[in-house]
Amino acid sequence: MSRSAPRSIDQYLRALREELAGEDAALIQDALYDAEEYLRAEVAAHPDKSESDVLELIASTYGAPDEVASAYRDTEAKVKAAMTTPRNIPKSRAGAFFGVFLDPRAYTSIFFMLLSLATGIIYFTFAVTGLALSAGLSVLVIGVPFFLVFVALTRVVSLAEGRLIEAMTGERMPRRPVHPNKRAGFWTRVGDMLKDWRTWTTLAYLILMLPFGIIYFIIAVVGLSVSLAFTFAPLVYFADHYGWFGLQGDVHWDPDWLNSMWAMPIMVLAGVLLLTSLMHLSRGIGRLHAMYAKTLLVAPAAPATLT
Amino acid sequence: MDDSSGRKFQKDLNGGLVGLVLLAILNQSTEDLYGYEIAKRLASANEGVSIFKEGTIYPVLRALSAANLLTSRIVPSYSGPPRRYYRITDPGRAVLKEWTAIWAGTRDFVDRFIDKGPLP
Repeated sequence: MSRSAPRSIDQYLRALREELAGEDAALIQDALYDAEEYLRAEVAAHPDKSESDVLELIASTYGAPDEVASAYRDTEAKVKAAMTTPRNIPKSRAGAFFGVFLDPRAYTSIFFMLLSLATGIIYFTFAVTGLALSAGLSVLVIGVPFFLVFVALTRVVSLAEGRLIEAMTGERMPRRPVHPNKRAGFWTRVGDMLKDWRTWTTLAYLILMLPFGIIYFIIAVVGLSVSLAFTFAPLVYFADHYGWFGLQGDVHWDPDWLNSMWAMPIMVLAGVLLLTSLMHLSRGIGRLHAMYAKTLLVAPAAPATLT
Repeated sequence: MDDSSGRKFQKDLNGGLVGLVLLAILNQSTEDLYGYEIAKRLASANEGVSIFKEGTIYPVLRALSAANLLTSRIVPSYSGPPRRYYRITDPGRAVLKEWTAIWAGTRDFVDRFIDKGPLP
């Protein structure tokens, strides 16, 4: 409170960013977005006053940057505590291994891996088409506006992907889009967009999502089909053996001893172990992918991007 | 009693009340509201001075929204970033009903001690 009160929206936002230093980057982006919405609306609501006159009173209405920062910190801590269901982590080693079946994140991660092929194809097509058309049209008048619209769309896609990742893996991602500095001139904004490394890392993320999506999809599909086939092999074996239903062509496993009734428990055991490992692997991939996505899609908390 | 202890007491009290008031405002409203509008309604209800700092309602709005008590949609705005308009959901109404009952009980309980007897 002892610091001199901010006299412009930019100063206020910078002070708020400083107060939130060290917090989650996504939380900072949200807090700055909310503050900017309020401050710009407040300035617009008082056309007779200058921006610095409006800002002078802001500490008593919206709150000083440090008060607002602590409100976000407190709420975030409370929401996190309320939204995380307390899990009793199994103590034994076997319990820890099979406990993955109780973790909803493992299931959502597998779902994310299956979905990532589709999203990967869409993102890749979108990014490559946009880049190619931007390059091709750059010699024409519509080239620059086309590129700007394309970059604006990448930000929307990036926000949507962030929401998807937060839903699937629980990693905190932005809940608000990045808001460009509206009062800067058109060319400054174009320059800022090109200089903003996040523009390029977002494009890289969208393109790389295709290879990642293919790998994730293969892991999920192969893992699920092999482990489930092993687990339910006895069902097929006995159904076929006793003629409950006929399979066209015999079900035959290659090492011959697997075709005996006594091999069935081994098959089930292998299936369950494989399935459990797949759950662990998926959960791990989900976490790693969330970290990777955050690095490429969310601006770092450093006070560099604000002018 | 100096000003800072009064402020701290007010802040402690506000903790859960902000959520209750926000749910109540959105329940009364016939249209969807965005953060700034809600803040101004709070202030106008109390002669221009909200007992909450208006900046503290935004994180609570997001928290209520994350808990499915509110839904929201984004509408572009001329004056600044696109605005997020909020609306109460059915679970939100159920929670509001429950919280209102708790608040009424708490208020009556506290009043029972404060109304009786001379002030110190």
